[in-house]
Amino acid sequence: MSGERFVIPIGPQHPALKEPSHFEIFVDGEQVTGATLRLGYVHRGIEKGAEQRTWTQNLYLMERICGICSHVHALAFAQGVEALAGVQAPPRARAIRQVIAELERLHSHLLWLGVAAHEAGFDALFMYSWRDREVVMDLLELVSGNRVNYSANLLGGVKFDITAEQKVRILDGLNFIEERVHYYLGVVNTDETFLGRTRGVGLLSREEAERLGAVGPTARASGVTRDVRVDAPYAAYSEFPVKMVVSQQGDLQARFVVRLDECFESIRVIREILNNMPESELVVRMPRRIPAGEVVSRVEAPRGELFYFIVSGGGDKPERVKVRTPSLANWGTVLATAPGHKLADIPMLVAGIDPCFSCNDR
Amino acid sequence: MTLSLHPLVILLIFPGGLFLILAGLAYEYVDRKLVARFQNRIGPRWFQPLADLVKLLSKEEIVPQGVQRGLFYLLPLFALASALTAALYVPMVGLKPAYTFQGDLIVTIYLLSVLTLSMGLAGASTVDRFALVGATRTLTQLFSYEAPFMLALLGPAIAAQSWQIGNINEFAGQNLWMLVAQPIGFLVALVGLMGKLELPPFDAPEAETEIVAGALTEYSGRGLALFRLGKDIELVIGLTLVAAFYLGGLHSPFDFILKTLGLLLAVALMQTLFARLRIDQVVGLWWRIGTILAVIQLIAIIAGRYLGTLIF
Repeated sequence: MSGERFVIPIGPQHPALKEPSHFEIFVDGEQVTGATLRLGYVHRGIEKGAEQRTWTQNLYLMERICGICSHVHALAFAQGVEALAGVQAPPRARAIRQVIAELERLHSHLLWLGVAAHEAGFDALFMYSWRDREVVMDLLELVSGNRVNYSANLLGGVKFDITAEQKVRILDGLNFIEERVHYYLGVVNTDETFLGRTRGVGLLSREEAERLGAVGPTARASGVTRDVRVDAPYAAYSEFPVKMVVSQQGDLQARFVVRLDECFESIRVIREILNNMPESELVVRMPRRIPAGEVVSRVEAPRGELFYFIVSGGGDKPERVKVRTPSLANWGTVLATAPGHKLADIPMLVAGIDPCFSCNDR
Repeated sequence: MTLSLHPLVILLIFPGGLFLILAGLAYEYVDRKLVARFQNRIGPRWFQPLADLVKLLSKEEIVPQGVQRGLFYLLPLFALASALTAALYVPMVGLKPAYTFQGDLIVTIYLLSVLTLSMGLAGASTVDRFALVGATRTLTQLFSYEAPFMLALLGPAIAAQSWQIGNINEFAGQNLWMLVAQPIGFLVALVGLMGKLELPPFDAPEAETEIVAGALTEYSGRGLALFRLGKDIELVIGLTLVAAFYLGGLHSPFDFILKTLGLLLAVALMQTLFARLRIDQVVGLWWRIGTILAVIQLIAIIAGRYLGTLIF
C-alpha cells in the first residue's frame, strides 16, 4: 500500500504558477515524498537569436528575457560588451543605472510579496502590496516612459537623465514605500496565521544552500554571505555601496524578512545617489565592431546572481551569449526541501525562491 | 405548516425556490463586494452572481473520463435540493418557518451536511488528483466542523428547552440576546459557520493555489452552477440560523436583513484578516479547541439552569 505513488501534477497549467513548468509531486495523503521538475516550456531561443543580431539590437533582445528583472539583463549585457571594448561608462550613467536597478529590485520584491501572500491564501496582503507597488511603477514610468522594459541602457551609458523634479517625485514615492514596507514587515513577523504557513517551513541549512548552489535572497536567508553587489561591485556600487542582508533562520519567514529588509537598503541607496549624483555626460562612444575576446559579466538581479558569458569574434554580432539566471540555480533547493512537507506547502516553497520561468528558460 | 401559503408556492416561489435562489445570489454579491472593499478593490456589480449563474448554465457540461455518470449528474442536484429543503425549517425573511416539527433543528443541520457530503463525493468519484485531494480535505473539514457547530447550536436549544427552530427563535426574541448570554457559543458558531461554508481562512478544501478547485475541479456548466448555487443558499441559511439563535431571533423582514447582513459583515471581515490555514492546522485547531469551547459553554448553560432552579 505504501509503495503506491500518488502523483500530483502541478503545471504546466496551474493556478499556482504564473508561468508554465511541470512539477510532479509524489504524495502519500497530504505528505510529500518526492518532487521532480521539468523546465523549458517558455524557451524562446534567445541565446541563438542573439547570435544573429548586432550588439545594439541584442540590448533590446536581452531586456526581454524577463519582464520583472529586465533592466539587470540589459545591464549585464551592456557591461560585458563595454568590458570587451575596453570602455567604461561615465559616472553619471553608472549612477543612473544603479538607481533604476534598485527601483527594479523594489518593484520586484513587492510583486513577490503579493504573489507569495496569494499562494498562502492571504489575498488582502496580495492586494495591498500590489497597490503600493504601483507607486514604484509610476516612478519608473516617470523616469523611463515605460512600466516594464525601461530600455535605460545604451552600450556605453544610459539613454536618459533624471531631472531635478523627477528626483523630488522619486524621493516622495520612496518615503511612502518605506513606511508601507515597515508595515508589511510587521505583518510578516506577527500575523499568526501567516506565521503558521511560513515559520519552520522549507528549512534550508547553510551547508545545503552552498552545496546546491543557491544564490540571492534564498541563499542569504540561510546564512550564505553572497551578494554580487558587495563581492564584485559593478555600476556605481563601489561609490554607493549596499549592505548585505543576511539571516540565519533559513526558513520561509527568513526569506520574507530578507527581501523586505533589502527593500530598505534599496531605498537608502537610491536616496544617497539622488542626493549625490555625479555630474558627467550620459554616454560614451562605442565602436560598432567589438574586439574579439570573452568576458564574464555578473550582476545581482532581484532573484540572485545573474551571469552572462559573452564571446566576441571581432564582428558586429556576438558569437555566443550565454545567460545563467538565478532561478536556475535555486531550483535545487525546492526539490531538496520538498520531501517531508505537506502538499499545501509546495506552492509556498516554490514561491519562496521567487521563481522566474521566463528567465531560466530564455 | 405555519405559513398560510399554498405548499407549492412555499416550495417554488416564496420563501423557498425562486426567492431563495435570488436571496442566495444577493448574499453572494454582498459577501464578494464586502471582501473586495476590505481588500481595497472595487468588487463586482450587483448582478454579477446572477450573470455567473446564467453563464454557467449556458455552457457545455464536459463529463470527464473515468467518472460515474449517474453520480456526476445527480450529486449537484442533491446538493441544491438539500439546501433548498433546509430553508423550509428556518425563519426565512423573519417570517415563521414554513414547516415545523419536533427535532427540525437536527434535520436542518443534517440537510446542510448533505450538501458538503455531495461535494466530497463528487470529488471522490473522479480520477482527477486535484479532485481527490480536495474531496479528502472537504470530508476532513466536515468531520472537524460538524461537532463544534452542532454543539454551538445546541446551546440556545438547551436554553430554550426545545429542538424546534421556531420555538428557539421565539425564545431568543423574548430574552436577552444569546450573543451576550453565551458569547463562547457565539464565537464557536461563527467560526463553525465559516468552516462549514469553506470560506477563507478555512478554504483549504478548495485552495485555488494548491489544488485548482478542490472537489469541484472537474465540474463545468450546469453541474458547477448548481453546486455554486447550493453553496450560496447554504450561506443564507447558515447566517439565518446563527442570527436567529444568537442575535435575538428574527421576527420581521427588516430584522432579518439587518441581523443577517450584520453577521455577513463580521464574516467578510474575518475572511480578509487571515491567511489560509493548512488542512491539518484547521483540524488541529478546531477539532480540539472548538469542541472544548463548545463543551465548556454547554456545561456553563446547564450549570446555570441548575443553579437557577435551586435559587428560585
